[in-house]
Amino acid sequence: MNPVILTLIQTAVVLALSPFALGCVRLFKARLQGRRGASPFQPYFAFATLLRKEMVISEGVSWVFRLTPYVVLASSLFLALVLPLVVRGGALGSLGDIFVTAGALAVGAIFLVFGGLDTGSAFGGMGSSREMTIASLLEPTIILVFATLALATGSTGLDGIVSAGLSVGSAPFLALTIAALALVALAENARYPADNPATHLELTMVHEAMILEYSGPYLAMLEYASTIKLSAFVLLIANLVFPATLVGTASSPAAVILAVGATLLKLVLGMGALALLESMISKMRFYRMQEYLTGAFFLALSGLALALIQHAV
Amino acid sequence: MPSIFKLLHYLFLGPRVTEPRSAFKNDVDAAVETVGSELKGVIDRLYGGRSLRIRAVDGGSTNAEEVEMTALGNAYYDIERFGLSFVASPRHADMLWVTGPVTRNLERAVKTTYEATPHPCIVVAVGDGACTGGIWKGSYAVVGPVEAVIPVHVKIPGDPPSPARMLAGILEALRSSSKN
Amino acid sequence: MNPTYLIDGILLCVAGTVAAAVLPLFGGGRGLRRLTLSLLAVATGIGASVGIAAFIEGMPLGAAPAIFGFRIAFDALSASFFILLNAVACVVSLYSIAYVDGQADAYGVRRLDALTALFILGMQGVLLATTPFSFLLSWETMSMSSFFLVMADKKPESIRAGLFYLIMTHLGAGAILAGFMLLSGGAAFASFGQMALTAQSAPHAIVLLAFALTFFGFGSKAGLWPFHLWLPEAHPQAPSHISALMSGVMLKMALYGFLRLLLSVFPPIPSAWTLPVIALGLLSAVFGALYAIIERDFKRLLAYSSIENLGLMFTMLGAAAFARANALPALANAALAAVVLHAIAHAVFKSGLFMGAGAIVHELHTRDLESMGGLAKRMPKFSGAMLVLALGAVAMPPFSAFMSEWLFLQNVVEAIRLSAPFVQGVLIVILSGVAFVGGLAIFAMVKMFGIAFLALPRSERASQAEEPAAGLSWPVYAMAALTFLVGLLAPALLRAFGFMRETDGGRLLAGGGALAPSSVALLFAAIGTGVVLARKVFSDARRERSYHSWDCGQPMTEKMEYTATAFSAPMRFFFRLMLHARKNVTAIPIVATNPWIARRESRLEVRPLWMEALYAPVARAVLYASTQARRLHNGIIQFYIALILVALIATLAIAL
Repeated sequence: MNPVILTLIQTAVVLALSPFALGCVRLFKARLQGRRGASPFQPYFAFATLLRKEMVISEGVSWVFRLTPYVVLASSLFLALVLPLVVRGGALGSLGDIFVTAGALAVGAIFLVFGGLDTGSAFGGMGSSREMTIASLLEPTIILVFATLALATGSTGLDGIVSAGLSVGSAPFLALTIAALALVALAENARYPADNPATHLELTMVHEAMILEYSGPYLAMLEYASTIKLSAFVLLIANLVFPATLVGTASSPAAVILAVGATLLKLVLGMGALALLESMISKMRFYRMQEYLTGAFFLALSGLALALIQHAV
Repeated sequence: MPSIFKLLHYLFLGPRVTEPRSAFKNDVDAAVETVGSELKGVIDRLYGGRSLRIRAVDGGSTNAEEVEMTALGNAYYDIERFGLSFVASPRHADMLWVTGPVTRNLERAVKTTYEATPHPCIVVAVGDGACTGGIWKGSYAVVGPVEAVIPVHVKIPGDPPSPARMLAGILEALRSSSKN
Repeated sequence: MNPTYLIDGILLCVAGTVAAAVLPLFGGGRGLRRLTLSLLAVATGIGASVGIAAFIEGMPLGAAPAIFGFRIAFDALSASFFILLNAVACVVSLYSIAYVDGQADAYGVRRLDALTALFILGMQGVLLATTPFSFLLSWETMSMSSFFLVMADKKPESIRAGLFYLIMTHLGAGAILAGFMLLSGGAAFASFGQMALTAQSAPHAIVLLAFALTFFGFGSKAGLWPFHLWLPEAHPQAPSHISALMSGVMLKMALYGFLRLLLSVFPPIPSAWTLPVIALGLLSAVFGALYAIIERDFKRLLAYSSIENLGLMFTMLGAAAFARANALPALANAALAAVVLHAIAHAVFKSGLFMGAGAIVHELHTRDLESMGGLAKRMPKFSGAMLVLALGAVAMPPFSAFMSEWLFLQNVVEAIRLSAPFVQGVLIVILSGVAFVGGLAIFAMVKMFGIAFLALPRSERASQAEEPAAGLSWPVYAMAALTFLVGLLAPALLRAFGFMRETDGGRLLAGGGALAPSSVALLFAAIGTGVVLARKVFSDARRERSYHSWDCGQPMTEKMEYTATAFSAPMRFFFRLMLHARKNVTAIPIVATNPWIARRESRLEVRPLWMEALYAPVARAVLYASTQARRLHNGIIQFYIALILVALIATLAIAL
């Protein structure tokens, strides 16, 4: 199939399914808490409502506040367009360089932080400070994880890395690297133990504190961006574990449909695992995050060391 | 370390301490279910979606209403399944639940919260204090019912109203507003 | 192909700079000032164009005349730095017309302009020099003029900073001189080519000593840890256009000097010698970034960021030498290319940021971040340019610094695949170190922009700020545009510089990977457009209302905002072992009977570890030695005469 069509299919699937994925986590968590929970389609309704609502914009804010939702959404969209999430060998796959991807993630984080600071509220500033701390200290781990994968596969694009078809069985280091990537994903997406996505208490917030001032369509854009990012990370991790579930340019339309089905399955299973994890652990105290971040870094480093040892043998 | 095993043993193999569902399932709860599902239908029509986000505002209540409100989120009432959820900022809210007779200290807070919420915004006065001023009516320390400060769309009397009555009150209000 | 116009161009550029240095002596009128600085801008503009022309002509060296050891020609290295120097100097001199006009009461304007031209002249000389004598002559011109420029406002703290700078820079210059003399066998007029021949046959120990001395000399000038302490003192004290030149260009001269020696003079460096270069480079980068994070002074923050960037450049440089010693030619070439590209990128964004800081200081009369805030609302265009520069400074795609870091890191990853375990270890340390620094740098720059430009104004002046005058803002816009352009044209630039001959000029290549900056920029633009369109399609809700930020019902003031100190608090906590920050809270009771009702004062103290561990003992030792030496002053004339006699005999004994 044409790579352009494949990329379009992937983008459409990820954009369409990501609110469902978020609904799934909430549903699974509710069930684990003994509640019935909202339907997994609830986020769609929430976005539809938000898109029609009025916006209340803080008086003191500048153009940066208005630019933020666009940049953050664009940063997430970059992931959906470029990374190998549903298909590999997409039209933009060659731009999915590990450093460009890390950069696109960082741009999103930077603007989110600006949006939080610009309102002048102490909550926004607090959230921004925390988010920036976590994001900047995650940077080396992200680079190291990606570098390990690049080393093992000889390709520095995520597309090539996933296409190389490494499996945990043949490459044991992958277990460590993927674990490190999972830690990165949890912190990047403001999930437990870095952040509590459901909290109403401003003092415990990280991500939520930055978007407290957004309303209406801007809020919808920011929340949508974070659902896309969450889905992208879950799919990326799932694809590293099961690279065979991706379709390439040589496959038939039936295989593409199968891959879309597999994507749905991966999302549901991934979100189930996330919900299970979040129900078992508690949020870490923010001032202990350095242990988490250092742990993630050394996990990634040992993954790299193991990969080199395996490579040499 | 052994304490962890003790805990796990107790949790998974210990005696069952919760009551069976049939023991507490009665008519009142059936009412919650019906009200809830009807509510869902109304929100559906009203917002074109099925999402209603609530911001709770304390206008000087005794906290009795807050305790009942908290109960709405627990596993028993679980209002999330009807598409309602509590949010952390008035900017995110579609609905304000104001409790208590508005005291002079919190008058400004109630007013600014209302202003800070994007429209359309439904204001619900929860509890006797919020509806009429309750036993504090006429006191020098209170401004009066919520109505005296911001426009109120729905009143849910009771001191405090039970969670089921809160849901019923909202349903009624949404019905009437969807008619207009 | 007639290279004489190149020679004429260089001569014209230098002569123009000399004239600009002399002109202020004839008077300090406004018209003459404008003439002087325009002349300087034209001269440096010519210089930059000549550099570019030299690339087009293919570096004709043939009949280049040499005057006092200055050769009027380029090779690729000096040409690229010559372009960098003169392009930045051109913009800066245009900027200084408006900037110095606004600060005329603080500075002696005539002296300032003359010294600026002299400063630029010194740096031009460094790039043209081919002998130790001419190099050090220019080096000293550069150092001394910048020393006086640091003290331009004659405030006590400026004089203190200037003297500290003077001492450090001369320790460095002494080391460089000694290194040169060791390499050239004592001949001050030997050319670099002859020095290379002498160094080839010199004993190993001598070359090592010369390497250590020159590394110390150039490293201390470039602000490498732990010789960097003068830098955050001196750079911010200077007038902002001088800070821009010092941080943007002068530090690169140190880099150039070391590169020049490594490439043209030193025999191949053993692998072990490059490790200190890499280590100090990484340490400078880490400490520079950490101190930038906790700094609250706008210009000092930028100065620390310069330390960080120079650290990165020295890391890349060390990695290049390390790769060469370990037979990894691809990494060696790419790392060199990355050094030059990063030097250009840093020169552009840092001089832009310093000029922007100057415009803000001009407007607000303070460098304190805690007194800024809300500037983005009051100066939207200017803040946009500063945002671009800040994003450039943290190596975000598609800006210029990203391209150099991409090139470097890609090749490091590639080289890890191919090398032996020990080399792999070093490369992994470099990789994770550079990534770590990248994260910290993001924090520092986000803090700078977020606290200075966003939220509510934190002071009266900040709330009345307006867009800076055109003379102050246009140079910053130009630098912002250049930051983007250099990123976009990075492959073509590197190809022209001769580092990447095999590319088509549109893509950066590294091992298995390739990156086309233009397609990245295009993709970003396309996604951005897509998002804007989607927003229009899916939600036509244009209704919006303005209301104050959510304040939980209590009136909110700018006092409640997150400050620069608060913003960096988590970092200060996480890195407390490295930073040695101490918070002292003193409570003064207001009500005698109740200790809880008190006025509390919180004071944050940061004491650099190496200030106590390295500089203080040296200072104490010098003081002790001089106190001991003072005992000789016993006032007996016969004793003095005896001393003179002993000194004379000792001198004769050594000389004969």
